[in-house]
Amino acid sequence: MKMKEALGNSSIRDFARGGLMLILIAALTLEATSIIQFYFSQKGIKEEARLRAESEMEATQLKILDVVDQAEAAVRNSIWIAQWCLDFPDSLPSVTRRIVTDNPVVAGSTVAMVPGYSKRRPLFSPYCHKVPGIDTLCFKSLATPEYDYPSQSWFTEPLRLGKGYWSEPYVDEGGGEMLMTTYSVPIFDRKGQAAAVLTADISLDWLTELVGGIEVYPNAFNLVISREGQLMVCPAESLVMQRTFMEMAAKAEDTTTINKLGRSMMSGRSGQIEFKQKGKRYHAFFAPVERTGWSISIFIPDSEIYGSIRRIGAFVKLLQILGIVMLILILRAVAKNQMKYKEIADKKERIENELQIARGIQMSMIPKTFPPFPERHDLDICGIIVPAKEVGGDLYDLFIRDEKLFFCIGDVSGKGVPAALVMAVTRSIFRNIAAHEDRPERIVSDMNESLSDMNESNMFVTFFCGVLDLTDGHLRYCNAGHNAPLILTTDKRSLPIFSNLPLGIISDMEFKGQERYLCYDDALFLYTDGVTEAENSAHEQFGEQRLSDVLSSRRSSIEHLKAMEEAVAAFVGDAEPSDDITMLSIHYLNDKVPEGLERHLTLHNDIQQIPRLSAFIDSIAEKAGLDSSLSMSLNLAMEEAVTNVMLYAYPKGTEGDIDVEAYISPDMLEFTISDSGMEFDPTAAPEADTSLGVEDRKIGGLGIHLVRKIMDSVTYNRENGKNHLSMTKKI
Amino acid sequence: MEVKINKQDSNIIVEFIGRLDTPASVEASQAIEPVLADAGKTIILECKELSYISSSGLRIFLTIRKAAAAKGGKVIVRNITDDIRHVFMMTGFLNLFEIQ
Repeated sequence: MKMKEALGNSSIRDFARGGLMLILIAALTLEATSIIQFYFSQKGIKEEARLRAESEMEATQLKILDVVDQAEAAVRNSIWIAQWCLDFPDSLPSVTRRIVTDNPVVAGSTVAMVPGYSKRRPLFSPYCHKVPGIDTLCFKSLATPEYDYPSQSWFTEPLRLGKGYWSEPYVDEGGGEMLMTTYSVPIFDRKGQAAAVLTADISLDWLTELVGGIEVYPNAFNLVISREGQLMVCPAESLVMQRTFMEMAAKAEDTTTINKLGRSMMSGRSGQIEFKQKGKRYHAFFAPVERTGWSISIFIPDSEIYGSIRRIGAFVKLLQILGIVMLILILRAVAKNQMKYKEIADKKERIENELQIARGIQMSMIPKTFPPFPERHDLDICGIIVPAKEVGGDLYDLFIRDEKLFFCIGDVSGKGVPAALVMAVTRSIFRNIAAHEDRPERIVSDMNESLSDMNESNMFVTFFCGVLDLTDGHLRYCNAGHNAPLILTTDKRSLPIFSNLPLGIISDMEFKGQERYLCYDDALFLYTDGVTEAENSAHEQFGEQRLSDVLSSRRSSIEHLKAMEEAVAAFVGDAEPSDDITMLSIHYLNDKVPEGLERHLTLHNDIQQIPRLSAFIDSIAEKAGLDSSLSMSLNLAMEEAVTNVMLYAYPKGTEGDIDVEAYISPDMLEFTISDSGMEFDPTAAPEADTSLGVEDRKIGGLGIHLVRKIMDSVTYNRENGKNHLSMTKKI
Repeated sequence: MEVKINKQDSNIIVEFIGRLDTPASVEASQAIEPVLADAGKTIILECKELSYISSSGLRIFLTIRKAAAAKGGKVIVRNITDDIRHVFMMTGFLNLFEIQ
């Protein structure tokens, strides 16, 4: 049992281990797929982010260029008029006004004369500009000692380069008073001498607005830096024009990367770069703005790009966990179910085991060790129950008390556990009652009372009980609805039985007992109907004839049972045995049975043997308690019958044996004379006429006459080459 | 079985002692040969000690009776026990013998 439990537990453990393995594999697979999916999604998303950033930058660039173009165009278109006005400096303010008025993008404009070019106006730079919030234009002169326009780069650079020039952004103090950038072109007179610089200012406010308006991702930010690295547009407005990108880079965590970014941007390249700042990962996309030398960059935090995918990833992970949890729950449920099934299977097995044990207990009640009384040489007993598949209700039992062998055989109606229980009860009642009761009819009727009393399930027991006095072979028996045992003497026949009712049907039943004597070498063969009703596949029954045939030759008890078992098995063949096969063979071997008690006599065909017959008959008569005259009558009848055989069955000179058997029952004596001589039927002889006178009287024929007169019945039959003459006498 | 024959002047007393069963009758039939020769006399069959008789014994009785009848003698059966009387009765011998 322990072993089994251990096995059960280990299989549960195996199952759990298997489940864990399954979960692990499922989790790993899910994780692997999500990692792969994440990797490719990430790639796609990064690509998308790049495209978005680039397209935004391109659009912004186009917008900037549009403004730049407008400003440049405004300036270029006014070059000719500015050249025309060189000789009339006082008309120059109107030129600037026209530039400012005609071009919305232009915030201010000036024509700055090369110092000393005009004799009349050696320093001259009339400036026209818009004032934010005011509809009118303002005019002022930049030729002030504070401003000193000839030193400003917007003035010097175009003259030096000899072409149009975009200034670095600057806050034009004393000029436009705003953050601006200036496009300036040199103006040459007809002689090709540099005469003035014509400018158009662009306020960078719109740039801030434009670039600030780019919102690739909610938390992305954008920068525009100038050729020199000045911050032109920056989320922290206070830093605009106050810091250069490189100054900022120096403060960054990943200085190397940011420096590299700065250099790339300032050298007008486009591309992307990744860096880390304050634990956040950033992707920087950058592109130059042509002509101006500016560079736009968009900084997108990693979390922004991958935010959605991470959210999806988290959601997927949640689903996965949910899935795994469900898997675990399902597995647990399955395991529980499995355990339940196992429990059921265990229970079934336990019931089967218990049935097996019950069967074992049942069988242990039956004497199974043979010989059961090894110290006794006057008994050769063997019994067997060949169990059918199902637990049955057959039983036999035997024990010796006071030199008496108590034995019984029985068959409980029905099959299965109820029959087994009744069988057990029957057996213990038999033991209880037989412990103090010697008479089989009393044992049987007491058992009947007990079994009827508690018989609520209407089960009954066919039962045969015998008590054999081992000292003299006196057998008393009582039958209760069981089939008659066979008795094997010189021949074999069914033991004469009163059938009576089986046990457990009606209480207050009277059971009649019977008795007879067993001689040395006599045997009883008791059996249940499992033997005779054993069926083969053609549904034929084994039957009593086959049973009787198997027992024909003299054998020991164990040989009888073996022979019978084999015969039944051979007969039944492959058919499933439907009932227990129970047999009990009792072979009486008491060679010390007193002479006078011998119930069997063999004589030679010699009339000198008659005294032996006489002694035999006397002993029977004495045993049967007959008076002397009846004894003499029996003697006479038997002598006549045997003499007849001696004289007529065996022709003169031939030798032969004559077997005489006597059976004593309480109210009757039965004698059988058997011989293997010629067929001779004494009952066929004509009746002697006892009324004739002396002269007519025949000498012969008196013998059979006397037999007829004395005996109550005389029957003759010839069987297997033998004459059998049976006679009965009521006593 | 013993058969005692006591010949007197006018009668012969034949005394059967014991069991007159088949084997005994074989001997007895020889023993009574002299009686049969003297069957003209009165033959007394003394059965006081005869405990048993079978048909062979009865046959001896009948043989004596037949011889007596042939020679004008007389047979008297004396002192038979009840059991033997019963056998005589069963066989009709009571009618054949004078029983005393």
